Amino acid sequence: MHAQTLDRMFLALADPHRRGMVEHLSAGPATVKALAAPTAMGLPSAVKHLKVLEEGGIVTSRKAGRSRTYSLSSGALRTIGDWARSQEAAWSKAFDQLAAAMLEIPEEGTH
Amino acid sequence: MTQHQIEHTSFVIERQLPGSPRHAFRFWAEPNLKARWNGCHPDWAILEDKFDFRPAGLEIKRWRTPENDELTFHAFYLDIVPEQRIIYAYEMSFKGERLSASLVTIELTPSDGLTRLKFTEQAVFLAGEGVREQRVAGTEEGLDRLVELVAQ
Repeated sequence: MHAQTLDRMFLALADPHRRGMVEHLSAGPATVKALAAPTAMGLPSAVKHLKVLEEGGIVTSRKAGRSRTYSLSSGALRTIGDWARSQEAAWSKAFDQLAAAMLEIPEEGTH
Repeated sequence: MTQHQIEHTSFVIERQLPGSPRHAFRFWAEPNLKARWNGCHPDWAILEDKFDFRPAGLEIKRWRTPENDELTFHAFYLDIVPEQRIIYAYEMSFKGERLSASLVTIELTPSDGLTRLKFTEQAVFLAGEGVREQRVAGTEEGLDRLVELVAQ
């Protein structure tokens, strides 16, 4: 068994900031800046956390122009529990956007 | 050859929405309003986009990700009661492989001038076994190989 690999994976998810980033990424790919913003985390600190997640096989990254985009690695979502959690997080985020959109657009008057 | 069991799960999300059920319903029924909150990935190319919101109507979306992989969403509306209820079945596939199939029930109830949303998803999850079957040939060293894949 590759105990070291498992250790790295568990280490990657042991930190609440990193779990927050994973939850964020479950709704879709994001840049370092977007991932750092919700907790007012500095960019160097966010980069460090993302490096740990990448080494743990939880996320992958891709450089597009000047910015680097992170996404969940497909291998990280292989149990139904992972999948259900990521679905729930994605819907939760979508419903936040729904509530915001409902406030932005006025109700139609009754005829 | 091992026969894998497929897995089922369900989850419920409840929310208070700002506005009447009549207002909330429009955000499912009207494509331009639905687009404001549902599934926006600016870096995915849209290959197909159909939206036929009525009982027995289909909603189909097909995208290509920047990695050049195709992702599809097929939904079939089973029941629609304006301002009250929407029931639909949907499946998601990635690179031609089915990831999941679900039944979704959306309930909208008026509550003090606002709307109570209850979202229930009952799902069959297929990707876990599919991914495992596809990537791991043989079962003896399966776990070791799986761990290696995760580490890549």
